[in-house]
Amino acid sequence: MDDIRSNPDRDLVDALLANRPGAFERLIREYQGLCWHIIQRMVRNPEDARELCQDTFLRVHQCLHQYRYESALKSWIGRVAYTIALRHLQHKRIPLVEHGDDGDGDDYALVENIGDGFDLETACADEETVQHLHAAIESLPPLQRTLLTLYYLEETSIPEIARITGLASGTIKSHLFRSRLRLRGVLETRTGVAA
Amino acid sequence: MNQHIGDIPPFDDARHEREWLAQESAMRRERLHLDPAGDDARSRRYRLLARALREPLPGGLPTDFATHVAARVAAAPASTTRFEFVLMTALATALVIAAGAVTAIYGSAWLPSFSAILPAPRTPASSWLLAFAGCLGASWLLGQWQRHGQR
Repeated sequence: MDDIRSNPDRDLVDALLANRPGAFERLIREYQGLCWHIIQRMVRNPEDARELCQDTFLRVHQCLHQYRYESALKSWIGRVAYTIALRHLQHKRIPLVEHGDDGDGDDYALVENIGDGFDLETACADEETVQHLHAAIESLPPLQRTLLTLYYLEETSIPEIARITGLASGTIKSHLFRSRLRLRGVLETRTGVAA
Repeated sequence: MNQHIGDIPPFDDARHEREWLAQESAMRRERLHLDPAGDDARSRRYRLLARALREPLPGGLPTDFATHVAARVAAAPASTTRFEFVLMTALATALVIAAGAVTAIYGSAWLPSFSAILPAPRTPASSWLLAFAGCLGASWLLGQWQRHGQR
């Protein structure tokens, strides 16, 4: 737990609890990107995601007095966003992970396989390869998409992701490992010969 | 970021752990924009993956999202909170009046029974009750003090 006296979120939370003008708008601007990334990656529907982001901040406003500085404000707000998106998926009966998602042989066959020669800049410039990769990321289960986005785009550490999702660090590591291996497999198939 | 990696348990399978370390190294090298010339094909693929994952998501929230939500919240309490406060005050007042009326009408019948079961002063039971109340009070005060310290 961080030292509560040096917590940079304190001023913002105190201002909000004291109903200072503009404090809530400042909090939303600070964390709307995080909420969008979590919720959009989970639900994949921009209209639903916008509505759920709004619900998230309404909930944050309602429950902020319960925030006890036990985690960073980012993790606490991320947790609210994740829970709201999770409920939405449950309501729509969309599974969070694939059934029997314990990695298949094809993915694990790539472990410690260096692969054929590959030119990074050529592949980056190849529009089709990049689009193919984005399609593969989109086809991952909601949980794996969200974990990858938090880890890479938000640069959130695994312990912080654990606070947001409520999953064990080892489970998060395992999901990240398998999804990256699977996506690498997609690239091997696509660029193994071409690049 | 991702500096707490030491907290993460290693994989049981050493090959998986080595692959994981290769994934992590590629992610860090890409984040630092290091020259990929010395990377092997596996690391380059993981770096391409890192580039794709670091791209902003398409779409997004409207530019006035924060203003809109803050205005919605600011407008809400004026009506709902005041209504809740008025309702709560009215209910509490009604409850106090009803309790007073019931005590005045029927109190003479059941108040003596209550005073009979209360422990008499200077008995061991009343000392223990006082001690128990003291513990509860001290615990409550400690909680308040800790909460005040956190604020």
